[in-house]
Amino acid sequence: MSRRQVMGIGALCGLAARSLRRDLRAADVRALLIALMLAVAASTMMGFFLDRLERGLVRQAGQMMGGDLVLEQSDPFDDGLRRQLVEAGMRLSDQVDLVSMASRESAFQPVSIKAVDEAYPHYGSSRIDRGQGSEEVEHGPARGELWLSPRLRQLLDIELGESLQLGQSQFEVSAWLEREADQSTGFGSLNPRVMMHVEDLEATGLIQPGSRLEYEILAAGSAQSVEQLSPLLERLRQDGVEVRDVRHDRPRLGSALERADTYLSLAGLAAVLLAGVAVALSTRRYVERHLDSAALMRCFGASQATLIRLFGLQLLVLSVVAALLGAVLGLVGQALLVALMQPFLPMELPPPGWLPLWLGVLTALAVLGGFAGPTLLRLRRVSALKVLRRELDPLPASAWLMAAVAAGSFGALMWLYSGSFSLALGLLLGGLVALGAMWWLGGLILDALMWLVSRVAPGARQGWRHALQLGARQLTRRRSLSLGQLLAFAVTFFAMAMISLVRGDLVTTWQAQLPVDTPNHFAINIQPGERDAFAEQLAEISEARSDLYPMVRGRIVAINGQPPREAVPAEAQGENALRRELNLTWSSELPKGNRLVEGSWFDGVEVSGDWYAEVDNGQPPEAPISLESGLAERLGLAMGDRLSFSVGADTLTGVVTSIRDLDWDSFQPNFYVIFPPGVLDDFAHSFITAFHLDPLDASAGQTNPLASLVEAFPGVTLLDVDALLGQVREMLDQVTRAVELVLVFVLLAGISVLYAALIASHPVRAHESGLLRVFGAGTRMMARIQWAEFAIMGLAAGLLAVLLAEIAAAVLYLAWLDLPPKLHPLLWITLPLSAALLLGCVGQWLSRNIRRQAPTASLALLGDT
Amino acid sequence: MISGSRELTILRELELIVHAGESVAILGQSGAGKSTLLGLLAGLDHPSEGELLLFGESLTGLDEDGRAALRNGRVGFVFQNFQLLPTLTALENVLLPTELSVQNHREQRAREWLARVGLAERHDHLPRQLSGGEQQRVALARAFVTSPELVFADEPTGNLDPHTGERIIQTLFDLNHEQGTTLVLVTHDHALARRCDRCLQLVDGRLDAMELSEATS
Repeated sequence: MSRRQVMGIGALCGLAARSLRRDLRAADVRALLIALMLAVAASTMMGFFLDRLERGLVRQAGQMMGGDLVLEQSDPFDDGLRRQLVEAGMRLSDQVDLVSMASRESAFQPVSIKAVDEAYPHYGSSRIDRGQGSEEVEHGPARGELWLSPRLRQLLDIELGESLQLGQSQFEVSAWLEREADQSTGFGSLNPRVMMHVEDLEATGLIQPGSRLEYEILAAGSAQSVEQLSPLLERLRQDGVEVRDVRHDRPRLGSALERADTYLSLAGLAAVLLAGVAVALSTRRYVERHLDSAALMRCFGASQATLIRLFGLQLLVLSVVAALLGAVLGLVGQALLVALMQPFLPMELPPPGWLPLWLGVLTALAVLGGFAGPTLLRLRRVSALKVLRRELDPLPASAWLMAAVAAGSFGALMWLYSGSFSLALGLLLGGLVALGAMWWLGGLILDALMWLVSRVAPGARQGWRHALQLGARQLTRRRSLSLGQLLAFAVTFFAMAMISLVRGDLVTTWQAQLPVDTPNHFAINIQPGERDAFAEQLAEISEARSDLYPMVRGRIVAINGQPPREAVPAEAQGENALRRELNLTWSSELPKGNRLVEGSWFDGVEVSGDWYAEVDNGQPPEAPISLESGLAERLGLAMGDRLSFSVGADTLTGVVTSIRDLDWDSFQPNFYVIFPPGVLDDFAHSFITAFHLDPLDASAGQTNPLASLVEAFPGVTLLDVDALLGQVREMLDQVTRAVELVLVFVLLAGISVLYAALIASHPVRAHESGLLRVFGAGTRMMARIQWAEFAIMGLAAGLLAVLLAEIAAAVLYLAWLDLPPKLHPLLWITLPLSAALLLGCVGQWLSRNIRRQAPTASLALLGDT
Repeated sequence: MISGSRELTILRELELIVHAGESVAILGQSGAGKSTLLGLLAGLDHPSEGELLLFGESLTGLDEDGRAALRNGRVGFVFQNFQLLPTLTALENVLLPTELSVQNHREQRAREWLARVGLAERHDHLPRQLSGGEQQRVALARAFVTSPELVFADEPTGNLDPHTGERIIQTLFDLNHEQGTTLVLVTHDHALARRCDRCLQLVDGRLDAMELSEATS
């Protein structure tokens, strides 16, 4: 055996470090390091930013809810529960909501009282006016003071500094409450707001048995704390406590935020995909070169194990270094990003967390391991004979292994990023099939372009046409290398196109969701006798308005003959709709913005005016009803199920004959349950409508059109939801901006891939250019040939990318983002052309050194080995 | 030795014993199988039939790793195309074979060897900054740095002009005599072969002894 001692791990580490240090002189290792670093930087920057933004958005949603966790019940909460919450790391704020009568002199007005404590609000600020203009405050009223909705000024003819009677006590009105920090109650209560200190509530004598009070604990804390409380929350739900959790019960903004979230993680995935492409490109050249040194080492007597350890260590050190550098770069980048964005972000972002950093390091390891790891096996199996024969061993088996390991690690990453195994698996399998199809398609496109070039410039001997021909020939000469690069570029353009396509459609959908004439006022309590007159007068002041819908209050008392709590799944025990009265309505037509998902509408259902009076066989007849799909899902209800409602003193039963989808974000009157006309008509009801009024232009001497409405219909309650609408718009704008910003980063990541690809193929191109120079090509000709070569490549890649993008976008829209798919004809022109232009210019620019170099130097770049 | 799917017989009925300290030249035309024979002798490849012994140990039962272990530090190589790694400096290239085993004063020895081949001043130059002759001198230093018992040289002057080639050969034989190394040299250059103790010619896959005078003609 060997007369020398076999290398220990320490010596091996030293050797690996030395080799790596020497390796850094090679362009491919630098390209690999840069590609990896940029990829990690892009993904961590995005990760950091998205993480912070996501947490910021959750916090803002928390602000609208009043906390990360809101518990509500009609009795006071006990201290044991409070202790448990505090022990879990939550900060608590107590709040009591009730409806009562406020009076001043002879004027009476029902008001919605919100009593808050010192800890209010957890997040955000309220806007009040103490008589000196609007100001933002981060507290509630002091003891003895009241903050009033400005509506009460008119309704009660009251001014600041005057007293208002609530129950048995008088309080001083110290400010107008223009906007509440939390909009949790929304317009659930339709009366004007009075905000007071919770400790003043006792003195009013309003807390009495039978009064309609809602006790709330608003709790703020980390996601982990909320998570930790899950079992407790589950118990509370079963006890009938209403539990709202910011992660699951984001108010109103739900669908927009969810889509944004999906989009952002999609963008993160695109960045990882690009990282993979960049590293794969750089690794190829790295491994080719190391095959030589591996063969030489074999000659000198290195064992397979030594080689695998040596190169493994080198790659490990390389990826860790790249990951750390990339992560630091990502951290700096996101800080810059936040600094840049801060003026536009209406909220303060929480500090960066650790998770994206680990994710970045893991990404680097997985990407490099996945792509470079299998090639280690190639290095291991390299025969010393390669040195003598100057040839590569065929590696039939490990090529499959390579693909499998690369695909596996990539799939794992996608799983990590998307959080969904089935999605990752689907994407992976689809991706592999797509890759095969792309190879074939890319070949077809390339052939077609070659044919086109040969027709455009047949036999040209000079100028651009000649360059075009030569450039095209360069591509065909190394067909599989060209195809490989074409695929890499196509994937890059595809990722960028996807991200921008989806962004465009998302934003358009969001804008369409809240068009400018979205209703910003609601009118309720319109009595049946006033209905037509009100509609007529409303038509004069507002062009955008919904229909008038009747509202009858009813409570669900039985489901399929059983008490509701027994009939629904455990998780629906705390469902709001079971605890409160619902607004029931009737309509002969499907309301605008509603969509039937099951069953059929009431067409053809004949219900006579005295329907309810008809009793068949001693049993009250059952009316067909249409149910909102979300409620049906939560309560586990399906077509044919029977729901019984208590309305006034009566009970009536409906059979579900249709299930509707509707958009709760639409600011239109929406209903869980709709009856056909004729069933509810005889019950006490009023009407509701929503309408849009343009902001008042005081300088133009406009009078408030609402004043005449209020005058003519004093009993009708008008609700101004402009502030709420504004908040929703602001949130959508912000999410849109974030989405746009992320797009920019995906673009940057894509450009880094292009750079890596060009650097990695530099030696081969330099060699070819050297030969062309030797054969007498001038610098200008060279530049043209290079431009033509890259531009043709770009055109082919762009065509392939747009094809893929259309297919993928259609699938994505249908399956994931819940948007209708559509074609993007403009993209078919812009993408291939801009890809050709971009690649042509960038490629030519990056090749400028090759053109300046003496041919001998270019030829020597390939080396002898 | 059989190669390829069409069963091309490259070497047959071949018997060769190289004694320690001896220098042997193997002559032959291009494509005669000289490099294949060298690969077999060095244990870089294994024969389809027959037996090979290196340092008295049979290579037949050994796998690639076993053969590599046998070579480790005991065999030096000089290649026709130098086989210097392009990203390594002259010194680092010389250091390469020493890095596979634990040895003291490696760098010092590598520097000494570079000085021996007259390249002390060029230790930090990359291969592309060196001429062909200089590159082959680096390769010579690399071949001898581990004080091997056996050196294989595959057309060491094949890529060099006659004058430079002559200087390289001079250095090779000087070092060989000085170190008492066994040398197996493959070449098609009769003048070069003449300088070895023994001269063999590879024709049609067979190895025939040649008289030195024959080789000179």
